Amino acid sequence: MKKKTNKEFRLHLLICAGTGCVANRSYEIKEELVKEITRRGLNTEVRVAITGCNGYCERGPILVVQPDGVFYQKVRKEDVPCIVEEHILKGKPVESLMYRPSPDAPPISRMMDIDFFKHQTSVVFRNRSRLDPEDIEDYLRFDGYKALKKALVEMNSGQIIAEIKLSGLRGRGGAGFPTGLKWELCRKSPGNIKYIVCNGDEGDPGAFMDRSVLEADPHAVIEGMIIGARAIGAHKGFIYVRKEYPLAVKRVKIALVQAEEYGFVGENILGTGCDFSVDVVQGSGAFVCGEETALLTSIEGRVGRPRPRPPYPIEKGLWGRPTNINNVETWANVPQIISKGAEWFSGIGTKRSKGTKIFSLVGKINNTGLVEVPMGITVREIVDEIGGGIPGGKEFKAVQTGGPSGGCIPKSLLDLPIDYESLVKAGSMMGSGGMIVMDEDTCMVDIARYFLDFTLHESCGKCPSCRLGTKQMVEILDRITEGEGKEGDIEFLEDIGKNVKLASLCGLGQTAANPVLTTIKYFRDEYLAHIKEKRCPALVCKSLISYVIDPELCGGCTVCAKNCPSDAITGEPKEIYTIDQKKCTKCGICLTVCPPKFKAVKKVSPPVK
Amino acid sequence: MIKLEIDKKEIMAKKGETVLEVAQRHGIYIPTLCYQKDLVPYGGCRLCIVEVKGWSIPVASCTLPVEDGMVVKTDTPRLKKLRRFSLQLILSEHPHACLICDKEEECAKYQECIEKSAVTFGCKFCARNGDCELQELVEKLGIKEIPFEFSYRNLEIEKFDPFFERDYNLCILCGRCVRMCQEVRGAGILDFQHRGPETLVGTAYNLSHLEIGCQFCGACVDVCPTGALRDRYSKWLGLPERYVKTTCALCNIGCSIKINVRANTVVSSTPDNNQICVRGRFGIAPLVHHPKRIISPMLRKGERLVEVEWEEAFDFVCTKLNEYRAKTGILFSPQLTIEAINSVYGLADHLQCEKLATTSALETNLKPLDLKGFRGDLVFVIVNTDMISDFSPLLLKLRSQQKIKPAFIVIDAVDSKLTQIVDLWLRPELGKEVDVLKLLFAQKKMKNTTAVSTQDIKLGKDLLKKKNIYLLYNPYNIKNITVPKYVKKIPLTAKINALKIIDMGVDSSTMDLLQDKNIDCLYLLGTAPKLNRKYKTIIVQDCFPPQVRFDLFLPTATFAEVNGSVVNIEGKIKRIRKAIEPLGKSKSDDWIIAQISKRLNHNTKNRKPKKRKTIISAIAKNRKVGEKYPIHLIVRENSYSFRGHRLSDLMKGFERLRGDGYVRVNKRTAKKLRVKDGAEIKIIGRTLNLVMPARITEDVPENSVLVYYHPSMGAVNSQPVRVECVH
Ligand SMILES: Cc1cc2nc3c(=O)[nH]c(=O)nc-3n(C[C@H](O)[C@H](O)[C@H](O)COP(=O)(O)O)c2cc1C
Ligand code: SF4
Ligand code: SF4
Ligand code: SF4
Ligand code: FES
Repeated sequence: MKKKTNKEFRLHLLICAGTGCVANRSYEIKEELVKEITRRGLNTEVRVAITGCNGYCERGPILVVQPDGVFYQKVRKEDVPCIVEEHILKGKPVESLMYRPSPDAPPISRMMDIDFFKHQTSVVFRNRSRLDPEDIEDYLRFDGYKALKKALVEMNSGQIIAEIKLSGLRGRGGAGFPTGLKWELCRKSPGNIKYIVCNGDEGDPGAFMDRSVLEADPHAVIEGMIIGARAIGAHKGFIYVRKEYPLAVKRVKIALVQAEEYGFVGENILGTGCDFSVDVVQGSGAFVCGEETALLTSIEGRVGRPRPRPPYPIEKGLWGRPTNINNVETWANVPQIISKGAEWFSGIGTKRSKGTKIFSLVGKINNTGLVEVPMGITVREIVDEIGGGIPGGKEFKAVQTGGPSGGCIPKSLLDLPIDYESLVKAGSMMGSGGMIVMDEDTCMVDIARYFLDFTLHESCGKCPSCRLGTKQMVEILDRITEGEGKEGDIEFLEDIGKNVKLASLCGLGQTAANPVLTTIKYFRDEYLAHIKEKRCPALVCKSLISYVIDPELCGGCTVCAKNCPSDAITGEPKEIYTIDQKKCTKCGICLTVCPPKFKAVKKVSPPVK
Repeated sequence: MIKLEIDKKEIMAKKGETVLEVAQRHGIYIPTLCYQKDLVPYGGCRLCIVEVKGWSIPVASCTLPVEDGMVVKTDTPRLKKLRRFSLQLILSEHPHACLICDKEEECAKYQECIEKSAVTFGCKFCARNGDCELQELVEKLGIKEIPFEFSYRNLEIEKFDPFFERDYNLCILCGRCVRMCQEVRGAGILDFQHRGPETLVGTAYNLSHLEIGCQFCGACVDVCPTGALRDRYSKWLGLPERYVKTTCALCNIGCSIKINVRANTVVSSTPDNNQICVRGRFGIAPLVHHPKRIISPMLRKGERLVEVEWEEAFDFVCTKLNEYRAKTGILFSPQLTIEAINSVYGLADHLQCEKLATTSALETNLKPLDLKGFRGDLVFVIVNTDMISDFSPLLLKLRSQQKIKPAFIVIDAVDSKLTQIVDLWLRPELGKEVDVLKLLFAQKKMKNTTAVSTQDIKLGKDLLKKKNIYLLYNPYNIKNITVPKYVKKIPLTAKINALKIIDMGVDSSTMDLLQDKNIDCLYLLGTAPKLNRKYKTIIVQDCFPPQVRFDLFLPTATFAEVNGSVVNIEGKIKRIRKAIEPLGKSKSDDWIIAQISKRLNHNTKNRKPKKRKTIISAIAKNRKVGEKYPIHLIVRENSYSFRGHRLSDLMKGFERLRGDGYVRVNKRTAKKLRVKDGAEIKIIGRTLNLVMPARITEDVPENSVLVYYHPSMGAVNSQPVRVECVH
């Protein structure tokens, strides 16, 4: 049977099948939609399909109706008959399923009118909410593999490299090395067997943009890799994906099979004589395996441990051969640079950082999810406009960029433009794009300790500075948060931190101290409060707070006493209740159960004796 | 040539060299810890960091290739600070109380710790105290204090394996042992485990070294810069005072070794910038000082053995030899010095003795092995020979010294460590090895009657294609090998001095000698076979008590106590140097024989011993198993012996590693025969009756049992047998 082409359908119901929405049973909704549409005999005019991640996972499952771009959120199976009845048949979109910025605001119907999407610039995400990642035909419909044809037929390798260099594309995996230059060096590196690698390890906790790109638009990554292979002179590529991303692995594998069927991968691609094949390698999930040399040893089948550079992978990579390694997002940018031209690309961004960057916006912020923004956007714009500000009317305190080994950017730098250089200057880094927003309830000492502890346990253990230096720092931070801080601790932390940066072999060790150093730099007073006054200003560090009942407010309702697991609260009904600090384990249950009309339980720091 | 600048000095270097190598060559000191010559640089300890112009952060020089125009500084305040930082951190995890103790001097002087540090936290009771790279570095970098919290790993010391112990509380994770084991030895027993602060060195699944197939070559112990790995025997013997360069005479490779001596005690023996095996590394010191050694002449008087002076012993020998002269049979161990062998031959000539034999397995037309003669694209076919156990230093050379990586094929019914690492293992049933060879080299299609699949034969043929083929085999373990001319046969005789003995000739094989009815007097030098009949006189010259009833015992010194030479498999004459004075009244073999000759009025000077015609005993017929004898007995040479004594009888470690006093029984066969592990079993053949304890294993094929030959078994060949339990 001839497949109907896109144009012939009146409406497209695109249900999100990213990991987040799938976990919220989006496939069941899809089944239900298909059933309902078929039942009503609408299947010739309405198409039901899946798409990759929309990035606004917290609102999932998401259903987008094209071509109007109507955005339904938190859709349930039970909503399906209503959607079909009202929207599809009667043409009246269902308001109750639309997004509202606040409970009493009017609903917003179109996706692109929602703040979260409105301020984004979709380059890598250009196909989001419009194509089925498991169907190459869809990709082709939106100009897929056009860039490949152009690169292979009209351009030689020098021209491709020149175009990428001119575009100003820099690596999206961390350090921001100019991609065109890396390709050129690899091209020139002696040897006739070369490899290219796509780094999809994505070890930063909370970051999931690479997963999302691989799930939503796997062909874009593959197309980028083939173009890169052609430019560099490689015939074999590897996509390294962490084991925890089964859906991404599945989609990439499907995409590879289809690409091969269509002659984009394999021997004699498009009749140009180019050969290129790709293997998918599943990683063991260690954070340090994202580091390029560790990743390469892992592909070779050994334990992933960084090794010294030089020699760099472009000189001696996989099995000693020149190897060009780029991040998922970097590869996904390539086809568009080739088809739309370097000039178009370099028109986006700042002087030295071009194009867009995807961030994974999480933490104390109203809209969490993946956001693609032009380089040079300010922290404020992301937090306020896209993120919709801090929930509960709380105060913004800082944002951590660059993953666990990035740094904290304080309120005073809200207008910092986000690009590689500015972030490093502020003591942080781009990293792979994690962005964690913190509000006034976050203790900066505690958060620094948390990140450092993560990095410590992900250290491969090779360098004394990384394995033991960070350990010493964690121990000092432990002490400080437990109220055992000493005079000189801050200086000692700074000293160790700086040495760890200089003495370690790989990026992990060289950046591990960032969270501590930046929090000391911007929030020194919080450290001092912990050490000198034994006080935690954010009321987070357990050892430095006490729960007390305000006698003025206590209504004597007995709820707290009944709920306290350690029998620390005593009093008579209708009288004032008190907490015995010796018995209190600081579980905080009393605070949560105290009725809002009293709000009598309070956290205080320093703790009462 | 590359020109670079190090510390303002202009220096020339070759492409591919590292900054560290170049600096060391020019006498510029850069501290190192994880660096070890001959191992792939690791860049882990961060002590060797240097500043390079144009780089914002320091780089490890051990991994940094030189580049033209590079400007390097090795000793800036920043580097000093960072090196101290890294070392102090390393020490924060390593018991360091003594390293930074300011009472160190008094402590050394009065042998008493006045600070009363806990033992585990200091150097005083570390086996490597005084021979430790950490101590050296603390001194060199001037570390007087550790500003960091101390953390002790609190791990149990691993004492359950033979030969060496591991205290990973002392490990600094330099990775030298790991790299040594993986890169140089190709064994891959050790690796890093876990991540972050839990990172440790260990074996997969935490198995013991014995379980996981360690060769116990000790190479890891010798590269460890700390006391984490230590030789159990020498642990508390103190640091050596002298290192005597000599040769290991325990096998035909004749490795160069150092015998390490304190007072008149051999503390240990270690490689001399080379790779050796477990015998040379851990076997020598305990052998020399073995409590069972007899170090004074012993004469049988009636039923009693009496210690006598040399004079009395010589009187006895001379009387007897004069009496029996040509009716004397002489059987000597090849593990003597060349000088001693010469005097044995001289004495035999003087006595007109026509009954001179050795216990070495020989093959006529032995030629020196020419290691440099291997050229081109190589493939080695190894038949019935466990090269890892018996010839590991040789195997390492074959693997590493070639330009193109050679291929290895093993043909053996018996499984071993070797079969795990080769390109192809062909496992025929017993006695079919020669047939497999025929199939491999057949030009035309041939019927395959072996258990090896035709597909595997094809794989083997593919490996052999267009290659220079060498066939390696121990002539004791496989006989009757015929191969096409283009295949070069290389017999690997296991015992030292084989070339010397072939050159001199022997009159008969051990078995023929022992069957000779005309011999009245036996003179046994370093060997004590099972005897089938009575002799009028038996003289034994050895280090350890023999298992035969003798009339006179002449105590000899081991090769650690004498001067002389040996000839190895390559035909190289290698020096044996006296490391310590002979123990007790023991004397060198050549001195003893010279004394005897003198008393017999035999002038040994300038007399060349006469050459004898080598007779190698007839090959036993390859019989088939049948109803009466349903089981194959495999007999392999025991190359873990010294002068006819099994190392495993003398040293517990060898017994655990090799267990060659046991007969190995296939697991399923054992089940069928109801044989229990460790139980005594009877092995009965046409002319054979052995009783030995059983060890159950899957290394030997079904329906077979395996023993390592020992002279006390008498005449034993591979043959069909019957196995019975002893109840
Ligand atoms: C500890 C550590 C973890 C890293 N993790 C990742 C990762 O998860 N994904 C990634 O693309 N790059 C990661 N990198 C960066 C890679 O080493 C490498 O620079 C990058 O893959 C190069 O690609 P690009 O030039 O396209 O950014 C990591 C680096 C370090 C030091
Ligand atoms: S810096 Fe840390 S993660 Fe990197 S090699 Fe050193 S120990 Fe391993
Ligand atoms: S055991 Fe010794 S050689 Fe091995 S890593 Fe530890 S310190 Fe280094
Ligand atoms: S290989 Fe032979 S010579 Fe070398 S150490 Fe071992 S036994 Fe001694
Ligand atoms: S010697 Fe170079 S890092 Fe250890």
